[in-house]
Amino acid sequence: MIQKKICMVGVFGTGKTSLVRQFVHSKFSEKYHSTVGVKIDRKPVQLSGTTVNLLLWDLEGRDGTQEIQTSYLRGASGIIYVADGTRIRTFDQVFELRAIADKAVGIVPSVCAVNKVDLIDAWQVGDERMAELDPTEWHALKTSAKAGTGVEEAFHWLAGAVIGERPE
Amino acid sequence: MSDHLPPGTTENVKSSPRAFDTLRDLLVGPERRDLEDLRRRLEAAGLTTEQIAEHLPEAIALRAARDEKLARSLSPTIEGAIQESVRRRPEKIASAIYPIIGPAIRKSIADTMAGIVTAINQAIEHSLSPQGIRWRIESWRTGMSYAQIVIRHALVYRVEQVLLVHAETGILLAHAAPPDLDTTDADLVSSMMSAIRDFVRDSFKGREQGGLRTFRVDEFTILVEQGPRALLAAKVRGQPPDDLLERMQVTLETVHFEFGDPLKQFDGDAAAFAATVPLLEERLETVVATDRREGTPRGPRVAWGLAGFAVLLLAAWFAWSTWRWRTAVNALAQEPGIVVLDTDRGLRRSRIAGLRDPASADVREVLAQAGIDPRRVEFDWEPFVSLDPPMVVARATARLAAPAGIALALAGDTLVATGSGPAAWVTRAMAAAIPGVTVVDVRGVTPLFPETIVRLRRQIEDRQIQFAIGTPALPPEADSPVSAIATAFARLEAEAARLGYRAALRIVGRTDSNGATETNQQLSRDRAAAVGRALAARGVATEAMETVGVGSSRPILGDDPADAARLNRSVSFEVGLALATMTRGGFE
Repeated sequence: MIQKKICMVGVFGTGKTSLVRQFVHSKFSEKYHSTVGVKIDRKPVQLSGTTVNLLLWDLEGRDGTQEIQTSYLRGASGIIYVADGTRIRTFDQVFELRAIADKAVGIVPSVCAVNKVDLIDAWQVGDERMAELDPTEWHALKTSAKAGTGVEEAFHWLAGAVIGERPE
Repeated sequence: MSDHLPPGTTENVKSSPRAFDTLRDLLVGPERRDLEDLRRRLEAAGLTTEQIAEHLPEAIALRAARDEKLARSLSPTIEGAIQESVRRRPEKIASAIYPIIGPAIRKSIADTMAGIVTAINQAIEHSLSPQGIRWRIESWRTGMSYAQIVIRHALVYRVEQVLLVHAETGILLAHAAPPDLDTTDADLVSSMMSAIRDFVRDSFKGREQGGLRTFRVDEFTILVEQGPRALLAAKVRGQPPDDLLERMQVTLETVHFEFGDPLKQFDGDAAAFAATVPLLEERLETVVATDRREGTPRGPRVAWGLAGFAVLLLAAWFAWSTWRWRTAVNALAQEPGIVVLDTDRGLRRSRIAGLRDPASADVREVLAQAGIDPRRVEFDWEPFVSLDPPMVVARATARLAAPAGIALALAGDTLVATGSGPAAWVTRAMAAAIPGVTVVDVRGVTPLFPETIVRLRRQIEDRQIQFAIGTPALPPEADSPVSAIATAFARLEAEAARLGYRAALRIVGRTDSNGATETNQQLSRDRAAAVGRALAARGVATEAMETVGVGSSRPILGDDPADAARLNRSVSFEVGLALATMTRGGFE
């Protein structure tokens, strides 16, 4: 079985841990826990040809992008960048994080998950902003860790991408 | 201030406040100031409690920071309060400290139990092994219970899991663990460990290579050996030995060598590393205290075994030769006439010292019979005379040169000789001085005399002197025989004296059977006396002679009564030979 290291990257409170919880355990909690250091989980993903065991490194979210610990990114096969759709600043920071990560580990298959899409009233990321995410660099999608929207897709897409097969 | 004035005065005060104040000052000025003062004091007193309440925490903090006095003065009160509280409402205190004490006790018990369970598991595993049997024997020998023995030999350490981790991604490549251990989370453990190492490396910057090699989690120690492409981690329960990391390094190097390409090209598929599992399993080890010995390589063990066997052989040989030496010395000490006083046993030469009677047995022969080579023994004998009866007899036999017919025996300090032997020997024996012998008793010895004496004796005893009927008068024809007897006896006396014997001559007178017995008795005595006188006249000493008259009581037998009567009218002779030291005797 193939194993791949995947990192969850984003500033604090964007929902990285919640996305992993939803994906791995199909659970969601309203309570906020800030992650200290890194949390690791695993989930096997069934693809058409094979099974990929994803080792999900859920990195601690911090205030600023400069503080990200790039050593955790070492050896990552894919990265999921998470932004909070209700805080436009976190969306801007995704680009900064991407630059740092690319420098640290090179270009790897990436997903940009603009999270909390269930909070329609507070939503701040318009379609024109979403269009800034170049499809050749990112797989962009809106997600909701609470409702489960887009969660499976985000991880499945990345699982396919890291083993070099693109799901239809 | 206006609230304190009576309502009626309000208008006036408002209309002319300054005038009123002046007036009031003039009227009750001093009293008012006193009143103000009093009120301030009252208010100040009331405020103090509140102020204390306000400032107490800071005050306590301040004082506590300054010195220990506060704690000292408070502690009796607090102790008293706790005691009182425990006495009155124990359940309150119990529930208050429960969250602390519960987990602490649980953890302590769990740790102890885990240790015991591990030890017991090991014991069960080993119960049929040679080690288990050794433990059982030890239990039986020391009187301790088997469980105690087991705990005494409790686990030193156990490598419970070995992980091979891809260095860059932290992905688990392979792992080994005993079959009874749940290792489903090995991949997570592997990633987490990498994360922790990353964290430590980031936190203590400047050490790119190496990083965290050892860390402890509960009762486990995690040892990490870092290689360029992979790292090897071991989860150890107990105290790992210092060389475990070195052995892990060897394993890791082997993995790098044999799996260099798969490591370089690793893209998440760990299948290629299944082959490393046997390598990893080599590192799984359970070491209980007594196992350490088993780590000794075979070569030295054989050498030790041989050495032990050699020592055993040597010890056996030594014990045997010691036993043989003792037996020989004992045999020697048992010999009459030998007293062993000191022995000194050496590897090449030995020494025996003591007292030895010259007549005792040959020492060399005794030792040779006991299996000791006498040429390797040095003797240091002091000559002495043993009074041991066998020794005394042996010495007497040697000294007296006792002839074959003589038997010697010791009774107290008297040597008793029996049998028959030459008269000369008897005389010598009597006179001999033998250490340990006071008296030689030769009365039981029949002396054997030389031919000369025997012939002379026969010459004398074959003769008879005949008398006429009824008279004691010696006839003239008796003259010649009497002279012959006197000559023979003189020669015999001389011969006997040379051998230490004294000769005696008994002269026996007889009569025929006619006549009264009384008369005959007298007649026979007179006849013997007459012969005696005749012999004395020819030189025979009277004290060497003895005259006896037997009358007709011991007749000599004749062919007919007339011949018998003639034969008995006679005197016959008997020769006695006795040792010169004896006063009488010697007649047979």
